[in-house]
Amino acid sequence: MQDKLISLSEAISSIADGSRVALGGNTLHRGPCAAVHEIVRQSKRGLEIVKTAGAYDVDLLAATGCASAVAAGFIGFETVFGLAPSYRRAVEQGRVQVKEHACYTVIAGLRAAIQGVPFMPVAGLTGSDVPRVTGFHTIADPYTGQEVVVVPALQPDVAILHVQEADREGNGRIIGTHFEDVLMAKAARRVILTAERIVDGAEFEAAPETVAIPGFLVEAVVEAPSGAWPCSCAGYYDYDADYLRAYVEASKDERSLQKFVDERILAGSPVAVGA
Amino acid sequence: MREGSVTDVPSAPVMMAVALARLLRDGETVFHGVASPLPMVAILLAKRLHAPNLVYLNITGSVNPQPEQLPVSTVDPALLRGTRTLVTLADLFDLSARGRLDTVFLSGVQIDGLGRINMSAIGDFHQPKVRLPGGAGSAALMPTARRTILWRTKHDRRTFVEQLDFVTASGNVDRVVTPLCVFARREGWLEVESVHPGVELDALREATGFPITVDERTPRTPPPSPDELTALAEIDPVRVIESEF
Repeated sequence: MQDKLISLSEAISSIADGSRVALGGNTLHRGPCAAVHEIVRQSKRGLEIVKTAGAYDVDLLAATGCASAVAAGFIGFETVFGLAPSYRRAVEQGRVQVKEHACYTVIAGLRAAIQGVPFMPVAGLTGSDVPRVTGFHTIADPYTGQEVVVVPALQPDVAILHVQEADREGNGRIIGTHFEDVLMAKAARRVILTAERIVDGAEFEAAPETVAIPGFLVEAVVEAPSGAWPCSCAGYYDYDADYLRAYVEASKDERSLQKFVDERILAGSPVAVGA
Repeated sequence: MREGSVTDVPSAPVMMAVALARLLRDGETVFHGVASPLPMVAILLAKRLHAPNLVYLNITGSVNPQPEQLPVSTVDPALLRGTRTLVTLADLFDLSARGRLDTVFLSGVQIDGLGRINMSAIGDFHQPKVRLPGGAGSAALMPTARRTILWRTKHDRRTFVEQLDFVTASGNVDRVVTPLCVFARREGWLEVESVHPGVELDALREATGFPITVDERTPRTPPPSPDELTALAEIDPVRVIESEF
């Protein structure tokens, strides 16, 4: 058995500036936030973030200058806390480039990468300005002549996924919704898994069909209890509304945000309120 | 009813939830995405009242969940409760792509008279005055789902506009429900189908940035019935729907 268990700082230090990084989870749920905090601590630069729908993770990477491009369908704190303040500011000031997607075009791009083909046709997108601004071409179906939008393969350099259970070989079990994590694991050149718990791989033998992430695709495994916090992690914890409210509040101006990042993130492992 | 006393006028969240629920049909397949408390409640309400066989889908991948406590985030693991299978978001988009999704709920920060939406940017896309969250799945879903129901909790001239700053999505819009009225799309254009109780016609005209025709003959949206109000109170006792206002 290959033991892939390493520290969080070691795993994140393997990510080069300018990488295309896919983040698992969706909005306030099961984002790989411990890894995102470590990216901030290591001051990565020029990252292109890939996600269908992001919130705190993408907003923080925009706030701290780590991300310079975002390919996503939605970035916001949903109805809970509204617009993503730092992402919004960074885009408006030209510090972050938006690669405007529909969530389905992110999926289609990942699927093209998974299948080893250069592009993927996608149904819909008619009458939308998204293909024009993002550069998605329309081609004629060679069989019927009908026009269809095609999305280029979207291959992340690295996918960072937070799962509830992993073994030292990198097999990962996701409890509840998978979101796009499994697609990202298959599409990316490298996969870093963070996990609530490291378990003995023999435990997975009883029900391997519940282990969605195959270890042979995974390069590094990190033990990260509360590793999705302040996002939710199904079966473990809800999202931390108090922390997120404080974050969004601090994000109203750059000085209070810097103070928040210094105190709550750069100073070490952020700790859940009351944890 | 048109001259009903103030106390007869339902609140906007209640009127919108009920109006949205009434649009849903028994047996159809219905999906809502992120940031969608009103559709979530409307679907649960329709299932309780007149559409028990409606198939309720959402981003968690649950099918016909029975949440114990309604979440404000509509991607929350709370929406997994009671599901007996789990699909993926990719499965849901695929379902729509092949024409098997009956109804999708979507919204827009701006909505034009053709029922197109802008969820991307105010001002120039490349140098926006306001960067918006993005349209999530709307650009793919709106043309492929059999019908789209739009909802928007603000009805003013900045929302219902003559000209969108950016077309995030365009497609099969059937109805638009707002705090003031229900629009139906006829021959491509949004027309006022009914005006909610207590709403002045001048206020509706004033709040809508594209031309509409309303007069005293325009139907009024029937106010919520006692059955609708009882079911709504049971489904959403903490009034998650108010989080959108």
